[in-house]
Amino acid sequence: MASVTLPQTFEAPATPTTLKLAKREQVMIGAHIIAALTALMFGIFMGPFQTFHRSPTFVQYFPTIPVFTFYYQAVTAHGVMNALFFTTFFIIGFSYFVTERSLQRPIKSTPMGWAAFASMAAGLLMMLFVLLTGPQQSAVLYTFYPPMIAPALFYIGLVLLALGSWLASANVFLTYRDWKREHPNERVPLAVFAIIVNFIVWCVATVGVAIEIVFMLLPASLGLLKVTDPQLARTLFWFFGHPLVYFWLLPAYVSWYTMLPRQAGGKLFSEPLARVAFIMFVLFSVPVGVHHQFSDPGISASSKGVQTLLTLIVSVPSFMTAFNVGAALENAARNRGAKTLFDWPFKQKWNDPVVAAQLTGMVLFVAGGFSGLINASAQLNATIHNTSWVPAHFHQTLGGAVTMTYIGILYWLLPAIRGRALFSKKIALAQVFTWLIGMTLFGLAMGEAGLQGVPRRALTSQAPYLTPAGAFWLDVTAVSGIILLISSILLYANIIGTLFFSRQPMPEGEVPIETVSGDRTSPLWFERWGLWLGILGILLLISYGPVMAEVLDFQEGWNILRFMPTSNAPMP
Amino acid sequence: MEINKLERYWLIAVGITLGAFVAATIVAVTVFGIRLPAPVERIDPQRLDQTIFAKPGVRKIADNRYEAVIVAKSWAFDAGPEAGNPAVLRFPRGSQVTFYVTSKDVMHGFQIEKHTLNLELVPGQVARASANFNRPGTYHIICNHYCGAGHQVMYGVIIVE
Ligand code: HEM
Ligand SMILES: [Cu+2]
Ligand SMILES: [Cu+2]
Repeated sequence: MASVTLPQTFEAPATPTTLKLAKREQVMIGAHIIAALTALMFGIFMGPFQTFHRSPTFVQYFPTIPVFTFYYQAVTAHGVMNALFFTTFFIIGFSYFVTERSLQRPIKSTPMGWAAFASMAAGLLMMLFVLLTGPQQSAVLYTFYPPMIAPALFYIGLVLLALGSWLASANVFLTYRDWKREHPNERVPLAVFAIIVNFIVWCVATVGVAIEIVFMLLPASLGLLKVTDPQLARTLFWFFGHPLVYFWLLPAYVSWYTMLPRQAGGKLFSEPLARVAFIMFVLFSVPVGVHHQFSDPGISASSKGVQTLLTLIVSVPSFMTAFNVGAALENAARNRGAKTLFDWPFKQKWNDPVVAAQLTGMVLFVAGGFSGLINASAQLNATIHNTSWVPAHFHQTLGGAVTMTYIGILYWLLPAIRGRALFSKKIALAQVFTWLIGMTLFGLAMGEAGLQGVPRRALTSQAPYLTPAGAFWLDVTAVSGIILLISSILLYANIIGTLFFSRQPMPEGEVPIETVSGDRTSPLWFERWGLWLGILGILLLISYGPVMAEVLDFQEGWNILRFMPTSNAPMP
Repeated sequence: MEINKLERYWLIAVGITLGAFVAATIVAVTVFGIRLPAPVERIDPQRLDQTIFAKPGVRKIADNRYEAVIVAKSWAFDAGPEAGNPAVLRFPRGSQVTFYVTSKDVMHGFQIEKHTLNLELVPGQVARASANFNRPGTYHIICNHYCGAGHQVMYGVIIVE
């Protein structure tokens, strides 16, 4: 390892690579992780009760299910807290950690870091307030399509979250710029390379939803605007909504590529190709959002076709990741004595919660990835669009790969933040395996229900159209909900245990992070970010230019002049 | 930068798989004639009475061919007084029906059980799609897009005789 001189301001941890955190790291990163876990707590415990509410048999035997009474309020809280707040806080905390440790320097500006945190935390509090006090009006789900309009606080909460996340992105970009000035001829470590990719994707994508909220939804909510255009709003939302998925996924890839090989006892197969994969994410994660709008009437079939093709391309870097990470895991198993073609998946450190959680995520991801390709192909989409198949799919990817990898990270990062050992390894392992079983069953049951025509986002236990087969699979989903409830309780028992009751000192350990890139072959122009942004701009013009023209209906003059009136969410 | 041999094979396999997906899509569109919804017309959801949606209902246009004009609103599908509420539509077996559907208020969905017909009903847009009803039976029309507190009871029925 090359020696590095630390900038003066860096209050160094004992040695740069030990896991023990310096005080300021503990506070800053800890604040983000705790906020993330707070959001997740409000979100995750809704999930199992949703499966109960949806199951006809369950509702028959337990007519009053506790926790919440208005089903759609719970689904809104579940989606908003899990998908928007938990992920964003966690990703930013983790990205700070990776950037600081990899580049051996603090983030550019601590005050700016706190300003970002304050903005996002205020957003979180507002959102919780509006979700808990305005159950009916705030039940617009995490996609908040107009003409349903929520109270203004809902949108202000989201704007504050986005503002904070932009500040955080800028902080990381500036840190990298300073590092690059000092190391013009070095390759930035892979982990930071990926973090930068991730924040670029995020900053480009959030422009869409920011325009939607600031110019359409918030004014409508405040009564300043009496009209809205749902087709335009949906298009702006999905411009953001698909890259959002990659914003969640890439930090998990950072862990798989740069930390897991070491944690599992192996070596990464090919670092240059990992960089190629991440560059592909910059280029192709954004111009594909229309694949969520295959069934929309306002967009032409040819525009949909273009984005279908691009969607297939964006699966390539994930296949590359599967190979690269798979090879690293095989290497780890060989080091541990695996001999045959098929024994290496079993010769992993399945008894280490950090590794087991991530492997579990990968297992679920394989199932989720294939169901994703099915979603993406336009005709199959017509069978499963807006059915339970869709949540089945993203609970394997978001609820499986992403969440379990974050939890794997949590199992080493939380002890470091607290300075104490993980409360219980056994509970952690039990949590991981109940999650694997629960989510597998959930995916199967919700997927089957979807194929039977059971819609998503519906209180299906009250639906007059439910068929016996649909009802059966919803009942099975409730069983998976019980397993996942147990898993969630185990998770939070361990978190609270680690924060308040762990008496063991933190075990000595190294950060699983590289400070100097071992990569000697990647061309330096991989870091020409302006180049990638330029290509992305061209791809956006090709893929979104025609879509926007259709949605704005250019032939007949700007349809903004012909906005339809907003109606408030029709609540009883 | 070099690419390992194994990895190259993997990438080729991935390329072939995705190529097959593209081919399948092209076949579906050209041979089986599967179509995605595409723009039909924009209308003002506040003035549906000046459009075909003024009088929802089913119309026979030729042998075994029908047109169904339906207005979605919270929380029912309005297919005219004859169809009732919840709307019940009857077609003889073997008919081809073209649906024209729009929403009067918020977003709704329009999915017919066991048929590949799945539309987003976006206020201000007319959605159009056709379905062939070859197997006798009762099929639900399900609103599959969240539309508020009564979302789960928004449905219709198609009876193929
Ligand atoms: C305890 C485990 C979980 C269970 C049992 C669960 C259950 C569910 C169910 C039944 C739905 C569908 C509701 C409906 O369509 O009516 C749902 C939706 C959703 N879940 Fe989960 N979930 C869990 C964990 C998670 C996690 C960890 C995440 C993300 C980090 C997540 C993100 C979402 C999102 C984004 C939706 C979509 C909400 C919407 O359609 O508006 N879930 N979940
Ligand atoms: Cu997507
Ligand atoms: Cu509806």
